[in-house]
Amino acid sequence: MAEIEKTRWLILVYKLPREPSRHRVAVWRKLKTLGAIYLQDGVAVLPEDEVTKEQLEWLQLRVSESGGAARIWRGEPNTVAEDRNLVEEFRSSREVAYENLIESAARIERKAALGGEASRLMEELRKVEREFRTERKRDYFGTPLREDARAAIEAARLAARGESGEARDPAEGGC
Amino acid sequence: MLWATRRGCHVDRTACVWLIRTRIDPEAEFAFFDDPAEAPENAELFDVAGARLSHRSDDCSFETFLEEYDLADPVLAEIGKIIHDADLMDGKYGRPESEGLDAIIRGMQLSLPDDDALTLRTDALYDGLHTYLERELS
Repeated sequence: MAEIEKTRWLILVYKLPREPSRHRVAVWRKLKTLGAIYLQDGVAVLPEDEVTKEQLEWLQLRVSESGGAARIWRGEPNTVAEDRNLVEEFRSSREVAYENLIESAARIERKAALGGEASRLMEELRKVEREFRTERKRDYFGTPLREDARAAIEAARLAARGESGEARDPAEGGC
Repeated sequence: MLWATRRGCHVDRTACVWLIRTRIDPEAEFAFFDDPAEAPENAELFDVAGARLSHRSDDCSFETFLEEYDLADPVLAEIGKIIHDADLMDGKYGRPESEGLDAIIRGMQLSLPDDDALTLRTDALYDGLHTYLERELS
């Protein structure tokens, strides 16, 4: 039987002095931006690719510059089931984020339908689009909601620009 | 002089190569390695953890170069902010160019896995960015 492929994971194990707390916050924030999951305090995991590897290496340097110590390990969980659970955990954190974005996009679309000011709506939309790009970057296992979020944002953009399907003048034709 | 860095150059390293060639050492030669242990002994390392010319505190390597070589050109400082945002993805300077640059160079990296070939082409990108920003800032 063919061996079931497990994900290659990178694990950052780090320790930082309690004070000043800004270093701990900076490291935590960076790991959050990367979409890492904490296995426990001071132990964070990410799937391995060129970007995550490099970013973790810089983080390792940052930790030691801040008077702490950090090690990076490459590893895989013992069983396929544990591997799948971890992948699922990564997916579901992105799903929550995409759901929030879909909701924000729908809100913009509703406001547009009610005649909201276009320039303000576009500003709100740009923020949503920026967040979407951030999510997409850390969506390592591609959740299906990504496509839904993309479509919701596109619909909101059309609505904010006054180009949504319902608003278009049928006399203009098209299909 | 011989300069060396890790293989698979992205925004920060390609920008450092351009900076070295155009502002620091026109005769520069480059070596790219997989592991720092393979770096040529006589080379000046950059963008490698622990090297003089590397990330420092919050700065990316390009920003460290500007400081180490007293390159006080405001246009280079602006490029430094764009590189920083693309490299560290922390949105520190909120430079919109960084997202485009990140996408373009990631794509170039995929089609040009050879770092010598890649950096020769990215040089033109940074020349263009510099000319553009020079006009914007004047």
